[in-house]
Amino acid sequence: MDTKQAESELALIKQMMADSRQVVADNGRHYIFWGIVVTAALVANYIMALQHVSMNYAGMMWFITMISASIIDAIVERRKQKISRVKTFAGRLLGALWAASGISMFMLGFVGTITGAYNAIYICSLISIVLGVAYYTSGSIQQIKWLQWLSLGWWAGAVYTFVYPSIHTLLIFALMMICFQVIPGIILYKKWKKSNTEIEM
Amino acid sequence: MTDFNYHEIDDVIHSRIRTAIMAVLISVEEAEFTFIRNKINATDGNLSVHLKKLEEHNYISVKKEFVERKPMTKYKISGEGRRAFEEYIKKLESIIKGNI
Repeated sequence: MDTKQAESELALIKQMMADSRQVVADNGRHYIFWGIVVTAALVANYIMALQHVSMNYAGMMWFITMISASIIDAIVERRKQKISRVKTFAGRLLGALWAASGISMFMLGFVGTITGAYNAIYICSLISIVLGVAYYTSGSIQQIKWLQWLSLGWWAGAVYTFVYPSIHTLLIFALMMICFQVIPGIILYKKWKKSNTEIEM
Repeated sequence: MTDFNYHEIDDVIHSRIRTAIMAVLISVEEAEFTFIRNKINATDGNLSVHLKKLEEHNYISVKKEFVERKPMTKYKISGEGRRAFEEYIKKLESIIKGNI
């Protein structure tokens, strides 16, 4: 093998590796699913608060919704994993990141308020901070700059709801869910669908 | 000056198509047959032959399963394959630098 052949081989390897790593790891499904579930629960919680329904019922509603959604998500994800044509390292990292973030949000939402460590009005602010971290890291793993920039939106929302806590925090958080989670999820889904069509071809 | 020793090049990897397969598999955790085929633009028969050769040398592992009644064959690079591929790249770099 001469130098030219070696250079050509190395160029092929680099190209194949770069091309294979470009597989879109995130299909946006989780963003859309959780965005809609949480938005619906937030609106329900807001209506309950306006009707002066006991906080215990609101807590119960959140607990049942989150557990049911987690079970549904786990079942769908398991099926998706089985039929997926490729497993990437980025996908594994994203899975670990969102699992850790989910557990953290669960603890902040339930354990923190049940123990009385802080007022329930600040749950949305605390969860916004966790989401900011998750979005920043997620965008970095996938090299999607705009996803990283969304973390600023989550952190700004956290600051606002910390400074101006009110019953309307629930609606503000629902709006943030739609703008920073559901819509980005749809964009990611379209991107994934396009790249998947190219793989299928 | 040292003469080039062809024995130092790994013959199992040293084929355009097998090099491409290894490059794809080292970049992902696991890949299904059609994913590899589409990435390297090979025909089913040709790809099967080369995958078999890599499998025989324990450079890749194979997992066959049925998903929704359809057969699915997934490939993964082994530890041995990873080491061999890294060694192969080092050899290529040495040739380019003129050390071999």
